[in-house]
Amino acid sequence: MSKFFRKSVFWGLVILLLFSLSLVAFAQEEMSELEKKTADEAFAKADKGQPDPDWKGKKFTIAVLASGPHGAISGPLYFWRPYWEELTGATYDIAEIPFGELQAKIFTDFATGTGNYDCIVGPSFFYGDYIANDWIIPIDKYFDDPRMPEWDRESIAPPIRELLQWGDNWYGFNNDHDGMVIYYRKDLFNDPRWQAEFKEEYGYDFPVSPVTWQEILDIAKFFNGKDWNGDGKDDFGITMHLKVGEQGFFNYIALAGSFVCMPAPGDDPAKITRYHNVFWFDPETMEPLINTPGHVKALEMLTELTKAGPSAMVGWGLGEAWDVFLRGNAAMCFTFGDVGTLSQDPRVSVVQGKLGVAPIPGSKEVYDLESEQWVTLEEPNLVGNKCGASWHGVISSYAEDPDMIAHFLSWQATPEINHWNVAWGWTGIDPGTTYDFLEPAGKAKIEDYTITGYDAEDITQFLDAYYTLWFEYPRSVPYLRIAGAADYIESLDIHMSEALTGQATPQEAWNRAAQDWNRITDQLGREEQKELYKEAIGYSGE
Amino acid sequence: MRKKRRWTNIILWIAVIVAVVWMLFPFYWAVITSIKKPADVFRLSFIPFVQFEPTSENWRSELQMRGQEIKRGLKNSLIIGVCSALVALFIGALAGYGLARYKYHRVKNRDITMWILSQRFLPPAAVVIPFFLIFKTLGLIDSVVGLVLINATFGIPFAVLVTRDAFRDLPEEIEESALVDGCSRFQVFSRIALPLAAPALVAAGIICFAFAWNEFLFAFIMSYSKAVPMTVLIAGTQDTQGIQFWYVATRMLMAVVPPTILALTVQRYIVQGLTFGAVKG
Amino acid sequence: MNRKKRVPLKEQGKHFFIFPAIIWLLVFTIFPLLYTLYLSFHGSRFLRVTKFVGLENYIYVLSDYRFWNAFRVTITFVVLSVLLTVGLGLLLALLFNRQMKGVQFFRTICTTPLFTAPVALGYMFMIILYEEGGPVNNFLHALGANAIPWLSHPRWALVSVLIADVWQWTPFAFLVLLAALQAAPRDLYEAASLDSASGWEIFRHITLPLISPTLGTVIILRTVEAFKVFDLPFALTNGGPGLATRTLTFNVYTSGLRDQNLGVATATAVILLLMVLAVSQIFFRRYGSNYD
Repeated sequence: MSKFFRKSVFWGLVILLLFSLSLVAFAQEEMSELEKKTADEAFAKADKGQPDPDWKGKKFTIAVLASGPHGAISGPLYFWRPYWEELTGATYDIAEIPFGELQAKIFTDFATGTGNYDCIVGPSFFYGDYIANDWIIPIDKYFDDPRMPEWDRESIAPPIRELLQWGDNWYGFNNDHDGMVIYYRKDLFNDPRWQAEFKEEYGYDFPVSPVTWQEILDIAKFFNGKDWNGDGKDDFGITMHLKVGEQGFFNYIALAGSFVCMPAPGDDPAKITRYHNVFWFDPETMEPLINTPGHVKALEMLTELTKAGPSAMVGWGLGEAWDVFLRGNAAMCFTFGDVGTLSQDPRVSVVQGKLGVAPIPGSKEVYDLESEQWVTLEEPNLVGNKCGASWHGVISSYAEDPDMIAHFLSWQATPEINHWNVAWGWTGIDPGTTYDFLEPAGKAKIEDYTITGYDAEDITQFLDAYYTLWFEYPRSVPYLRIAGAADYIESLDIHMSEALTGQATPQEAWNRAAQDWNRITDQLGREEQKELYKEAIGYSGE
Repeated sequence: MRKKRRWTNIILWIAVIVAVVWMLFPFYWAVITSIKKPADVFRLSFIPFVQFEPTSENWRSELQMRGQEIKRGLKNSLIIGVCSALVALFIGALAGYGLARYKYHRVKNRDITMWILSQRFLPPAAVVIPFFLIFKTLGLIDSVVGLVLINATFGIPFAVLVTRDAFRDLPEEIEESALVDGCSRFQVFSRIALPLAAPALVAAGIICFAFAWNEFLFAFIMSYSKAVPMTVLIAGTQDTQGIQFWYVATRMLMAVVPPTILALTVQRYIVQGLTFGAVKG
Repeated sequence: MNRKKRVPLKEQGKHFFIFPAIIWLLVFTIFPLLYTLYLSFHGSRFLRVTKFVGLENYIYVLSDYRFWNAFRVTITFVVLSVLLTVGLGLLLALLFNRQMKGVQFFRTICTTPLFTAPVALGYMFMIILYEEGGPVNNFLHALGANAIPWLSHPRWALVSVLIADVWQWTPFAFLVLLAALQAAPRDLYEAASLDSASGWEIFRHITLPLISPTLGTVIILRTVEAFKVFDLPFALTNGGPGLATRTLTFNVYTSGLRDQNLGVATATAVILLLMVLAVSQIFFRRYGSNYD
């Protein structure tokens, strides 16, 4: 009996192998040709700088997220390598790091001085630790270096530009630009039948372009539990990826911004003062702000929103959450730019052509830390976000040939190459410079996107939303960039999950988070953290 | 009496069917997930061709584009598994023979055995950090050698106890006459005892191999790129767009095949190995 | 072997055989353990030891609600896992302890779960238990029951981890106990059934005592392995929702290698080790005689 079993397993595997090998021929030839053609054009137009002949034959190592040769973020590195080799005569090794191991591997490499990684194309979370320990080098000196290809710093969306700098210095090269928006079903929102029903149920006109969180909540509750796509099953209002460790905390950050970041009085509402436009800590005392009423209300809102979607989503990662929207079972999806690209892929999506994208709404009620009261504003408090990793390159202090690396990263940051990366969705690089957004506000043409497969209307919605988020919102939620940032965020993530699953009330959850944060701060040194924090947010003391 | 037998038979057969379905279901699901398009993975469909369109894209992508990585992963897992099993067997068989044939006085046999056995009780989490720091100093991070050493350590208790029982069962007369004839103890060990206890050695070897093959914590922490085994590759299917279950499925299947085939060949001895000989399989 | 002194033939090579194992284990387990102990009494920053802090780390750990939460999760998991795997294994072993064709085949299938990497298993169960469109919940729907929030509810999340663990280890318990049952002398059973003793009485007075040593071994092995569980909750739920499936080993991993706080991580590890040692003492007290 066992022999039979063994034999059948063996032959089953052989057959499967042959089957898969036999289909090797059917590669995606068409797309590759177009990719090559447009890439060649971009390569020809992009500034090449003047590669130093000393670099010929040299090699450096790039650490990057492990997505493979045609996957997000790592894909472009593989794709452009032959071009760069031709240009300079030098090359690079790509060391892929699985997502879950990024912090462990990168920090260990730096902290122990191993120096395996000369260059990191990584997330923006770690700047606090990078700077505190002098692990990366500032790149200002390369801006006037004739060897380096020129890239346009001014064209980068202000929130992202902040991420690439620390204090007065630049450290990061332009690459990916992440932020969260609300995707919705344009067809549903504009359907007069649903509009009429909504008015009946909620007593006001359907907000076709929602601007407050309360409106989003009402819309979500309205569509949740009804079968509006006629497949016989109830559908959902909104989906989010809220599993611990699956970047659900970014949803919270994007949402909470408008409840917490009080605009400053006077001419410059974006000015950072002790009580205005601060999100994480009190810059004078380093006390966590996480359990202040603004944050608690934001978490309550998120908890309510969670009830207007599939109950399982508190345990969902990115794939599951997006899938429900992409297959047409959710009215909205609150997430990063990936859905914009995925919605166009008929293999995973049925919503191409039906995509609406709204920049993050705001709240009319903001908590004022100074007067310790809730303030009601005339207009919703619109606070943008740069939630997400915004993967980009930094140069290690241990690198032997930093100039060579700077050339590569500058070259990838040039408008032509960066825009090419943005236009081809598989690269995982999201739009964020004026070169990516449509005329007249930006410099891109709709054809750039439609030839790579985007539906014209969908991409217009997508680009407009991000443009508004980044160039028209007066300010954005500051990223947390101090030492131990990942620890603070992990605590936030876990307690948020507790609140969302009913294991704690929002106030309790945030109290616990505040407790954790104080512990972490004390462990790392309260004074040092305070100084770092002040530098990170640009607080000059007022 | 007959009625009772029939009832028990029915229950038995139901139990068998339920048990078999229960045990094979995850594998079945892995197989169909590996041939599903990513969109279909979250949709319910059991039967290929009937309920969903199968695709070879996942396997193709894995074997072609990620082929290098996968090959390296399988190779590393294989080397780590085999080498650590061999090292564990070598050291373990020596110790097992010693415990079987000699009476130690300063520390009693029983205590030595219990001490060796207690190594199995050590939570890896308790020593993972020192290992990391020590290996870092020795330059053994991201090396197959490092992982072999670690997995051999975990395998030694198995090897010792299984071989000890096996040697104890061997009649001593053969060995004694060989000794009298002038052979050294080591020759007796290697030329007579080892071959006779071969089945038990194989069993212990397979167990060590399997545990090394599935080991995750140390592999995850110690390997960067060169020494990455299959278990870490499986965990590495998570990227900016979430966990790619179709690749998890392909890798899980690829990772489960070698130990299963090995297990099938020696399944008689596995029971013995698993319980340190407390029971004769 | 040179004859340095008059060593009786029988005693030759005595130490040579045992030394490699002892030295290896001393180097590769005792030494790292001592290092762990050392680290637990010191502070650290980014994998470097900073200063001696005495019991500070232990106090931190023992006063941290996350530790006690993980403690509770670990104990619950261990108890339930052992009960389920051994209980089900025993039941199956009793059921299959008879002449049956296909037992060989069945036993073969039983060995496959053991060789599945727990990481892969965790990810697989994520889609099998997928609440919205996974096979399990759809099966429940078909039966008319409610869908179960396998991964989104704290209690059910732990159940999900248990399910995966039970799936993997029940076959082990089954195989071992079956072997023990089959090793028992048949005449005892025949005598008992001739005496028309009831099935339950046979089990209690004959079967159970006979397989008691093996049962004990299986229980202790499963207990010890369950204490160490990490791969499964890591892959399946990542310790969530909230902290609902975070085990002690998980805490060691996060504090040690993610937060890079070696002192806290090693203190947690030492406490975990003490727990396991306490449990294993029970084992040795009862079954130590087997190892003479």
